[in-house]
Amino acid sequence: MSAALYQANPVKKMIVESIFFRRFLKAIFAANVFALIIFAAGCAATSKGRYFGKTAPPKAEELRYISGAEPETLDPQLPDGQPEARIALALFEGLVEYGPKDLQPIPALAEKWEINPTVDEFIFYLRRNARFSDGTPITADDFVYSMRRGFSSDTLSRTAGLGYFIKYAEEFNSQKVFVFKDGRFLTEEDLGKSIEPRPIFGPVTPHAEMLHSADRITLYADEKKRAKQIDSDEKLKKLTEGAKFVKVSAEDIGVEAIDDFTVRITLKQSAPFFLGLLAHQFFRVVPRRAIEKYGKDWTRPENIVTSGAYRVKEYLPYNRLVVEKNPFYWDSANVHLERLSFYPVEELSTMMNLYKAGEVDAMLNHSVPTAWIEEIRQFKDEYLDFPENATSYYAINIKKKPFDDLKVRLAFNLAVNREALSKFRKVTKPLYEFTPTGIFPEYDEARKRVAQEMNSNGQQIVWPGDKPFDPERARRLLGEAGFPVIKKGDEWDCPSFPINQIAITFNTNENNRTVAEYLQAEWKRNLGITIPLKTMEFKTYLSYFKSLQYEGFAILLWSGDYMDPYTFLSLEYGEDNQGGSGFYDKEYDRMLDEANLELDKNKRYEKLARAEFKMLSALPVVPLTVAATNWLKKPYVKGMYPNPGTLFPWKFVYIERDEAKWDKDVQNILTQRDEKVEKQLAELLSTMQVSTKQVSSTQEKQAGINNTR
Amino acid sequence: MLKFIFKRLLIIIPTALVVVTITWGLIRLAPGNFYSGEKKLPAAVEANIRAKYGLDKPWYQQYLMFLGRFVRGDFGDSLKYPGQTVNEIILRHFPYSAILGLLAYALALATGFSLGLISAAAQNTRADYLSMSAALVGLSVPNFVLAPIMVLLGAFWFYLLPPARWGGAANLILPVISLSAIYAAYIARLTRAGFIETLKSDFVRTARAKGLPEWQVMLRHSIWGAVVPIVSFTGPALANLLAGTVVVEKIFALPGLGDIFIKSILNRDEPLILGIVAFFSVLIMVLNLIVDIAYAWLDPRIRFETE
Repeated sequence: MSAALYQANPVKKMIVESIFFRRFLKAIFAANVFALIIFAAGCAATSKGRYFGKTAPPKAEELRYISGAEPETLDPQLPDGQPEARIALALFEGLVEYGPKDLQPIPALAEKWEINPTVDEFIFYLRRNARFSDGTPITADDFVYSMRRGFSSDTLSRTAGLGYFIKYAEEFNSQKVFVFKDGRFLTEEDLGKSIEPRPIFGPVTPHAEMLHSADRITLYADEKKRAKQIDSDEKLKKLTEGAKFVKVSAEDIGVEAIDDFTVRITLKQSAPFFLGLLAHQFFRVVPRRAIEKYGKDWTRPENIVTSGAYRVKEYLPYNRLVVEKNPFYWDSANVHLERLSFYPVEELSTMMNLYKAGEVDAMLNHSVPTAWIEEIRQFKDEYLDFPENATSYYAINIKKKPFDDLKVRLAFNLAVNREALSKFRKVTKPLYEFTPTGIFPEYDEARKRVAQEMNSNGQQIVWPGDKPFDPERARRLLGEAGFPVIKKGDEWDCPSFPINQIAITFNTNENNRTVAEYLQAEWKRNLGITIPLKTMEFKTYLSYFKSLQYEGFAILLWSGDYMDPYTFLSLEYGEDNQGGSGFYDKEYDRMLDEANLELDKNKRYEKLARAEFKMLSALPVVPLTVAATNWLKKPYVKGMYPNPGTLFPWKFVYIERDEAKWDKDVQNILTQRDEKVEKQLAELLSTMQVSTKQVSSTQEKQAGINNTR
Repeated sequence: MLKFIFKRLLIIIPTALVVVTITWGLIRLAPGNFYSGEKKLPAAVEANIRAKYGLDKPWYQQYLMFLGRFVRGDFGDSLKYPGQTVNEIILRHFPYSAILGLLAYALALATGFSLGLISAAAQNTRADYLSMSAALVGLSVPNFVLAPIMVLLGAFWFYLLPPARWGGAANLILPVISLSAIYAAYIARLTRAGFIETLKSDFVRTARAKGLPEWQVMLRHSIWGAVVPIVSFTGPALANLLAGTVVVEKIFALPGLGDIFIKSILNRDEPLILGIVAFFSVLIMVLNLIVDIAYAWLDPRIRFETE
């Protein structure tokens, strides 16, 4: 071969080049055909077969799980993300654990507990055989240490706020000071407030006496801030003259080890939901010795000591975290899987590829890309589409015209077809109430009962009506409010409505914009009102929203912190609430407080439901949608449930090798009984039954109320 | 020559400082904070965090603090990943990117050079058109398109190769091919052009006239001329491959530094961003220097003006 052609004459060269060009076109054509074939083959490969991609259980007793973002740290008390929470659930254990199906608290380190009648004091009895992964026993002191550490301002926990129900926890976390004068600490009583002392629940100790005496006055530790605080109150100014300021210390918070295996938690308010909150990773036991020895390096694989069912085997950041069964775990006989591998992957299509290729067994929630959903829905044994404890509303500024009129608020609520919105969004479910339906089944029942009762009593329920989408009625209501809607050709028009005064405000992001545009169109179509959109950066939005500067509607996304309707209802609680509507109703607050004093679950739910109807009758929001879990798991993975938080107590998860027993039609997974899981759960709960007997036989103390789930 | 190298090395430090300072300023302009998430933090918690990381201090103090650390070559702790230092993260994850980049570089050189050589030798034959068409496809298909096609072919036809993640050698095949394609295509075209250019020179005609076999003409005599443009291209290309494997790392979920760089920006993890920017800027400048030196070594006509 030589460069002979190159020296050929120009004519020949031209011919060659034109041949080249034609071949080039041919190549392009061929490449396109090729791509099409690949695409068709890909489609064919996805649509055949019962399961999505390769489906065979892993050889080892192992679960390979896509955990989403790289965990910030293995420390359970610092981060607030879900990926970290799931890892913490494997590595650490608290007094209680989430139930696998409904996230309701089940015994963990505590085998039983008692609650006082006002539901603000809890006594937990720890099991005596609990051990850290280094073999040392876990005692009440370890739990107390964990709480003190969590609330310490040096720890920088982002979830410490969840524990502010514990007495003086907030004051300690925000580094406040007590006021010490004339040999004693000043209390709210010195400011003239009358405080009814609460009886101590359980044994009397100096710490309990301190917590049960009148609430101490707390002030800012920062001198400038404190001076300002004192100057604003004449009484306080007089009182604090010549006083010493003593920092609120870790020892002051309402967590106490009564003995080696008994813990008492004292709250500042009644909170029946607190027990459920205790399963959160913030309240899990961390190893004191390792933390004190290694400082911030304690979470490194070579140093870490865990309290949960698993311990760290291998940690390669951004690659994989492998945890293995902790042989010292008290319940290790009932931990099914030898290993859990957490793979940090964030790209949705990459997750889908790994899942399809059978490289992983399950993936985190919200992971099926919108474009794939129609295709994936067909895999009924694998696709998990359940409501989640995350809601979206539009808050309505009820302080400003024209939305200070309830009729107008109701009209806008009635003019939204939520069914269609949710179909359009694909991964959400319609939301008609304030507390989402489908997450707290017993609460849903209670709410239905209350609604029936109110209807039969002739009490008017403003919302939700029987027909939540009723544009006809909406137009009528607007007319009554002084904004007549008139027919203009095929369309509606409402010329008198002051659209220049209002807007739909949201922080800039694709989802928020889609929803806003949808509602804009919806209200235009049904009411003839085109509301302008207003978008801003997140931080700016937050302050704009909180200070009620917006007019009309503003997006309000909320995800529940714990498994109780109160996590939603408390959004509108108090004068300076986070609901952002300017809603404040003393009666509503009173009803909630009263409900929280109720220990009977059903009665409490009914009281909460009444409060919810009370608040909804003022319609401070437009409920929009509930998020859906939207994830995949292979049918051989059992004991892993699409609960509202997509959080898994890992010791219930197992691999089923018998194909006949694989999950079928997972839409019913929460109601189907899995004997293996039920048995394990019943065994765990049995310690609670024992305790009931024990308490009734030793009732010499106080009438302790035993909480059953 | 030594004087030139010394001068270039000296200039690296201030240049990196300028780059990092600009980055520092840009981060300050970006809204958001590393601790801001979906949920609002209690004010006390936020205050604790701000105090701990000196975010409550005026900006010039923060800059001075940063400068002090920069000079010592210590970028401090990552904000997002408490308990991990920036230096540790860079040292841990750069090797992944380096392995990926170097393998892709080697593959690109091997395929590109051989394709280029074939089409230069068999100029205007089918072999030439075929390799140049392949190169054209390689050039025009971006790797974020190529990678999913590779996954479909390699991973879903008979489930031969893993579709993503770091692991054994099998895990590297798809990302390395996806990454190297465009570079291989460039190199193929440069090689072809380089050879054709050199083959026209007088010394080649002399060599041919002496009756040397064609392979000797190509591989012993013309190669030195053909290789210079490749070197000038592959220098920056290597830097790109080491620093810019972001897309492929993301698609294949590989723990390389490129993906971490992007995430550090999304996380507003200031020390990590600054650390990686400083690291990459130094790396790129050093690689450029090496290319310049290689230039002179390959082509004696090139001289460095040091005066």
